[in-house]
Amino acid sequence: MTLLLNIALDGVAYGMVLFIIAVGMSVTLGLMRFVNLSHGAFAMCGGYAAALMVREAGFSFWLALPLAVLATGLAGAVIEALVLRHLYRRSELDQVLFTIGLSFVLIASANALAGPQVQLIALPPLLAQPVDLGWRTLPAQRLFVIAVGLAVAAAAAWTVAYTRFGVWLRAAVDHPDTAATLGIPIRLVQCASFAAGAALAGLGGVLGAELMPLEPYYALKYLVLVLVVVAVGGMGSISGSLLAALALGTVETASKYLLSGWGSLPFFLAMALLLAWRPQGLLRR
Amino acid sequence: MSTASTLTTPPAWRLPLLVLAAGAVSFFALPDQLGLVTRIAIMALLVLSLDLVVGIAGLATLGQAAMFGAGAYGAGLFALHLHGDPLLGLMVGCAAGALLAFLTGAFVLRYQGFTFLMLTVAVSQIAASLVQRGRDWTGGDDGLTGYTVAPLLGQFNFDLEGRTAAIYSVAVLAGACWLARRIVNSPFGLAVRGIHENRARMAALGTPVFLRLLGMYTLAGGLAGAAGALAAQTQGVVGLDSLSFGLSAELLVMLVLGGAGRLHGALIGALVFTLLHHTAASINPYHWLFVVGGVLMAVVLVPPEKAWSWLRARLGRPQAGRQVTGRPEAGPQDAERAAEVPR
Amino acid sequence: MPQTRDLSLRTRRRAAFSTAGLCALLLAAAFGASPALAQSASIKVGIVAPFSGPFAHYGTLFRNGAEAYVASQGGKLAGKTVEFIYRDTGGPNPGLTRTLVQELIVKDKVDYLGGFVFTPNALAAAPLAQQSQTPMVVFNAATSAITDRSEFIIRTSYTLWQVTVPLAQWASKNGIKKVVTAVTDYGPGIDGEKAFKSEFAKQGGTVVESIRMPISTTDFAPFVQRIKASGAQAVYTFLPGGPPNLGFVKAYNENGLAKAGIRFLGTAETDEYDLPKFGDAAVGLTTAFHYSAAHPSAANQKFIAALKARDANAVVNYAVVGAWDGMHVIHKMIEATGGQRDGVKAIAAVRGLQWESPRGPVRIDPKTRHIVQNVYLRQVQKRGNELVNVELQNFGPQIDWGLDK
Repeated sequence: MTLLLNIALDGVAYGMVLFIIAVGMSVTLGLMRFVNLSHGAFAMCGGYAAALMVREAGFSFWLALPLAVLATGLAGAVIEALVLRHLYRRSELDQVLFTIGLSFVLIASANALAGPQVQLIALPPLLAQPVDLGWRTLPAQRLFVIAVGLAVAAAAAWTVAYTRFGVWLRAAVDHPDTAATLGIPIRLVQCASFAAGAALAGLGGVLGAELMPLEPYYALKYLVLVLVVVAVGGMGSISGSLLAALALGTVETASKYLLSGWGSLPFFLAMALLLAWRPQGLLRR
Repeated sequence: MSTASTLTTPPAWRLPLLVLAAGAVSFFALPDQLGLVTRIAIMALLVLSLDLVVGIAGLATLGQAAMFGAGAYGAGLFALHLHGDPLLGLMVGCAAGALLAFLTGAFVLRYQGFTFLMLTVAVSQIAASLVQRGRDWTGGDDGLTGYTVAPLLGQFNFDLEGRTAAIYSVAVLAGACWLARRIVNSPFGLAVRGIHENRARMAALGTPVFLRLLGMYTLAGGLAGAAGALAAQTQGVVGLDSLSFGLSAELLVMLVLGGAGRLHGALIGALVFTLLHHTAASINPYHWLFVVGGVLMAVVLVPPEKAWSWLRARLGRPQAGRQVTGRPEAGPQDAERAAEVPR
Repeated sequence: MPQTRDLSLRTRRRAAFSTAGLCALLLAAAFGASPALAQSASIKVGIVAPFSGPFAHYGTLFRNGAEAYVASQGGKLAGKTVEFIYRDTGGPNPGLTRTLVQELIVKDKVDYLGGFVFTPNALAAAPLAQQSQTPMVVFNAATSAITDRSEFIIRTSYTLWQVTVPLAQWASKNGIKKVVTAVTDYGPGIDGEKAFKSEFAKQGGTVVESIRMPISTTDFAPFVQRIKASGAQAVYTFLPGGPPNLGFVKAYNENGLAKAGIRFLGTAETDEYDLPKFGDAAVGLTTAFHYSAAHPSAANQKFIAALKARDANAVVNYAVVGAWDGMHVIHKMIEATGGQRDGVKAIAAVRGLQWESPRGPVRIDPKTRHIVQNVYLRQVQKRGNELVNVELQNFGPQIDWGLDK
């Protein structure tokens, strides 16, 4: 019983980090059909920004976190508006090539800026303290991650369902040509959702820094995981990404508890089976 | 569209001859860097196999490294346990790659687009996990070592300077180029190119689409396996990195850099990328990423044909039409074009 | 129709663009190939290590140790200038390592090879060292079987058997009867697990569970929970230095294992590169290892002074010492061969070599060509503002128990 609870708890924490990072890419892919392989780099930028702000500028974690997220969102908006929008019409292979090139440059920049070693984000005492749940102790940071993940999911769902922007977004994803002819500001929707996605990736980078250490190759190392979540969850589906991230996070955690000799085999096997069963995504018809 | 490209495909012997010539030049110009020449030849063969799948068949894959690894481990284990002859090992590696491609292709080829791409990732990661798990057989993270490769054709030892290895790899590459060109020019190749351009139409014509794609995927797997065997034999060690996602991604980058779909693009991309990595990495390991990243972005942002058509306009020639690149798939492109309307 | 022309234009133009670049590169490579002002009096040492990627710190540490040694000898070894050629492996990459080593031997014509952080890379280079009769000094890679691969390999680092056997003996003597092992699933990790299990069983203890962690693991919480649930009194662990090590020790600290009464039995985990990152939570961790920067000896003080003279912020840890002592061995090889390239003579000269290293008295085992050294029991303590590994006990000289079978 304790084992199941442990798997659930650690799995959900890990899954939440994956979700927060992946949701932006899922929306971008679903909305603009734009293959953005530099998404991992945005997560890395957010993490690095927070780490450097806390360490070098002496900001408190609670200040650095929103600032890092905003900065990453802004960077995303700028890059999208200036450069990436011109690539929407290009072939997927060209997009792959460009965004990989961008990731390379960002990796090299991270190294030039902060060196090749792991960047640690000093957590405030509130998050670093161990929380005793009765059957186990775990750092409060894990619970924080789960809470933030749920908040992001709720906020995203609310935005999509109840705001005008959400309506525009759904229209643009489902019927882009009709949406454009109806006067929906497609460019604004594209830029804003890309920026939001980048900001969320940055958030995930900061929150996940304990699980996925921040070092220059972060941008490409965890890209596979993000792609897997997006594929299994379905492009453009926020709830799909959440479900996929939680499911896969739990599988990965369970395999560490029960089958650690098999590496990431259970994860990819689960992913292949889920994709084969629902090729369009978990929650799509 | 396809009729024009059929007429312009070059004869099968041209590319292999170029490869042999390039090999000969580098053999005499760079006698103490033959290890690099061998590495380039192996990469070129691997990227060539990828071109068959991505450029000709139009299936973007990030799992080609699995076939490469299968060939490498196959040839390595063959040399370790059965027989050290390199040509036999080459055939074993080729067969291993083809077999893996056939078995996995039968499953993944039922899907398309992004789903297909991610399934190829899953397949190669599962293969990598299995190889790592079987460390009693494969050496796991330490790599497969300790096997010796017998002299080539019974006479030519694999020497320290790498002369035999270089000639061997370049020769196999040339042969593979000829084979690839023959395949692409054949009716089978035409069918596959047709499927790339318009799957629905080919199906309507009665082409067994799935079988054609599986056939091409298997052939490409065989070539990738051959590259793996070459790597295993010339390096004396097979590491887990031969199955990595990083390698698959690098291959795709090399292919797109050189230009997918024309076979010689694969060779050029492999050559340029490997040389770039090699020279830049010896200067500063991280600066090479700046350079390569910058080059990749530049190649995409400033499409050479825009510069070309601007030049032609200046010289008073008729301008070439608006570019259409990549796969002419229905659906997503229409959506993109519609989305771009209010500018 | 314009589409087809554009398609071929595009690829042809791209081909031309790439070919232009390629010609430039070929020219550069060709120029690089010609030996520039070869100084016959200088000895070339090729150092093969990661200089990029998550393990890039090893490359810097090797560089610091090797160059500091040469500087401490007055800039020349046995009257010869030493030229270092550094090559980046990026991580465990045996194919690339083989190409690099081949180039070092054939093109750069190095006299000695040094470095090697990862086992697969060392194994890939071994046949080349053997074939070319180039002495290869391993500064780090810790799997016992490496030195068996070629008679030209000398190792100045350590092996897991070497440091684990005395640890198991100590644990048993100190009332620990049940231990769980948690190692990374690769060569040295498995060596460590085997070593601990066999020695601990000999001493009458039991290993209740053997956990193997995949090398790509970043989230260690599940493993730490398993350790807690195993009911053991202590956990023996080994992970590669850098992110894995950092992650595991942090997880150990943050998940309250010490409070739960599970002692930490480590080896390389508290090395001085990572130690400052753990904070005060690391105080009290016990390890058995061959080098601590706090080792109280004159030789160590000289060593640290030589390092700090080049860079006041230099990290002083086992990797730097491995390079320092490795260069000492190369120094003796140069002396013995009079600066000539003679691998057989060089190796014969250093079998049985004894000297006082910064880590303590050491010698090269003539049979295994591995370094025999003291292994110490250390505990992390706070001295002033710093965390240091304080040596509590000296287990005496240990051989490579993994090869002594």
